[in-house]
Amino acid sequence: MLDRCTMDLHCYSHFLVHSLLKELKGNLIIFFAVWFLSLQILLVLLLIRATGHTLQMAYRQSLNSLDIVDLLKSSDSLSSGDVAALVYLWNPFTIAACVGLSTSPVENLVVILALHGACKGLVPLAAFGWVMATHLSLYPAILIIPVILLLGYGPDTPPRKLFLQKGYGKNGDNHSSDNCGQQETNHSKAEVTFSWRPVIHFLFWSSLWSTYVLVLCSISVKPHGSLWEMFQRTYGFILTVEDMSPNIGVLWYFFAEVFDFFRSFFMIVFHLNILFMILPLAIRLKHRPCFLAFIYIAISSMLKSYPSVGDSALYLGLLGLFLDELADMQFSFFLLCGYIGVSLLSPVMHNLWIWRGTGNANFYYATGMAYACLQIILVVESVSAVLNHDRKLRKLSVTKLRDGNS
Amino acid sequence: MSIFLLLFIDNATAYSSHSSSADTTKHTNNWAVLVCTSRFWFNYRHMANTLSLYRTVKRLGIPDERIILMLADDMACNARNKYPAQVFNNENHRLNLYGDNVEVDYRGYEVTVENFLRVLTGRHETAVPRSKRLLSDEGSHILLYMTGHGGDEFLKFQDSEELQSHDLADAVKQMKEKRRFKELLIMVDTCQAATLFNQLHSPGVLAIGSSMKGENSYSHHLDSDVGVSVVDRFTFYTLAFFERLNMYANASLSSLFTSYDPKTMMSTAYYRTDLYHRRLDEVPVTNFFGSLKMMIERTLIDSDVQDPTSHIKTKDQNCPFTRTMNTFFEKVERIEHPDSLVNYGLILMLPLLMVSVWLSS
Repeated sequence: MLDRCTMDLHCYSHFLVHSLLKELKGNLIIFFAVWFLSLQILLVLLLIRATGHTLQMAYRQSLNSLDIVDLLKSSDSLSSGDVAALVYLWNPFTIAACVGLSTSPVENLVVILALHGACKGLVPLAAFGWVMATHLSLYPAILIIPVILLLGYGPDTPPRKLFLQKGYGKNGDNHSSDNCGQQETNHSKAEVTFSWRPVIHFLFWSSLWSTYVLVLCSISVKPHGSLWEMFQRTYGFILTVEDMSPNIGVLWYFFAEVFDFFRSFFMIVFHLNILFMILPLAIRLKHRPCFLAFIYIAISSMLKSYPSVGDSALYLGLLGLFLDELADMQFSFFLLCGYIGVSLLSPVMHNLWIWRGTGNANFYYATGMAYACLQIILVVESVSAVLNHDRKLRKLSVTKLRDGNS
Repeated sequence: MSIFLLLFIDNATAYSSHSSSADTTKHTNNWAVLVCTSRFWFNYRHMANTLSLYRTVKRLGIPDERIILMLADDMACNARNKYPAQVFNNENHRLNLYGDNVEVDYRGYEVTVENFLRVLTGRHETAVPRSKRLLSDEGSHILLYMTGHGGDEFLKFQDSEELQSHDLADAVKQMKEKRRFKELLIMVDTCQAATLFNQLHSPGVLAIGSSMKGENSYSHHLDSDVGVSVVDRFTFYTLAFFERLNMYANASLSSLFTSYDPKTMMSTAYYRTDLYHRRLDEVPVTNFFGSLKMMIERTLIDSDVQDPTSHIKTKDQNCPFTRTMNTFFEKVERIEHPDSLVNYGLILMLPLLMVSVWLSS
């Protein structure tokens, strides 16, 4: 697996060299842009691999502490980090975003930086990634919750109740060896508590980085306007959805036909659609902050005002990190076929509508709606698969305890 | 709307009483009379000529109230027009001349020699609306542009009647008597155009034609998509001259008149200056093609900027935060090259990040 991954990276770097030679003949600016974006993608790959490794280590550790090691027999051959990196690299959406010279790879890079830093416990890196991601596009601001949970609790683990049960179980058995029991309960109690120190550090570093970025912005913006005007035109544009050109999202069609009287109401509704899902998911999935981040990224890339395939590329890549948990996901084949079908049909419908004039907006919006449905199914099924996995772990640990007791 | 200009230099030359009275009046406004006299689809280019000049004149500032646009046929909504409601003067179709904002005063069969002469002389029936009258006064500069098919001392209207050079000369003489203009620029783009103003005698008239007696004026290029020639050479080069200008330009009439190259135009642009008593290189083109502008003396901008900040300073001197913010903003405003500083800051971010990560791990 490792050889395959490095071989693919070799292939990719060869491709970069060839593209270098080809592009030198062509437009120099486009050449630099493609190179820069490819560099971003390479960095994202490395970071995804590293995050995957960290997550797998944490998973094995938690399973060890619960004494359920036999689940790992299936996952020895696959390293989820390598799989996720390969999925991100060869995803047609990533390649399309790079070829189309979009800045999505840069945004993906800073989001992954934040997640990696939070997983590894590198607070300045996490703060930097989060501040830059929020600055570049507004929606990664919701990732502050998984980042804080990652820094406080550590990487993904099964539910804390299982550790508590194990601790109580052990206590119930060994009255004689109180020291051991005490140590174990202390150990398990320490796993459950939320450490505030990294979070305070994170808040401090993020305020530092955000002042730095705001100072640079204000210097750069001074000749042309004020900082407030910059916010109006960047965040305000994203939030007020002023431009209604067709895209693969679901907002443009709606806002093209809504009456002006109700426009602000529906704008609030659409943005609340993302916000109201934050709290319940955070409560339910607080023991798996990395997966929570993946779900937030998926939801925001579906419901944001101007989505693009680069955003989808990010969460599809992160999907590969959770292979162990998502092994039993339902409808995976349907989703794969659906994604392929929508990504083929959507440009065709766009061409039919805009360039040939034989279709109309409904053709194209139908593919957009189908795409949103597929993403919803993906989110729902992956969350239920993870919760099922947790239930399975709980059943296994309970049976192990009963076997151990009896 | 016109803003009155107070720059007038007295010409102390001894002419007839008419000319001396004309010299002492102020230049108050600019008018434009743009006439296309040809009908039928294959004369698309004459319509495009007139509409191009209409667009130029509007762009340089003359409003619709002071433009009389006479188009003898409708090309934009012609059944043979592949691009409905669009008129182009170039095969690259970059400019749609028939945009949102075209006001045609005389259209179709209303463009006759009789109506044209009535417009010039101001002798209308009582029912004719104001938008169809040339309401110029003795301070007006009038641009008269005519295009179509012409010949030796005549201009063809609607393929059925003619305007002869002596008719035009009579009308201009009546205009001068009635003090309907201060200066008049006649531009004619037809075959043998210079013959049309052979008979002019009134002072204050400047005339330029696209070709001389015995020469034809040619079209510039054929648009194979629309199917007809879309612009004439003389108008094409006139527009090329004006596209480089904006409202504030002060190119002179002599630079316009000398910009016509007989080799590329395939005809000699002939102009007549014996009736015009100002030097051409002193007359800006906007005297005829644009509107009048008011010169406003602007004080130095520095004084404007300093006042608000000093005002703020005196108000919030107590709060240290606002004091630091004010000093910061002042420093920022004094930076000469903000872009390079921002670039350095961005590049500096990476080593800062790596150092902080290394320190914290």
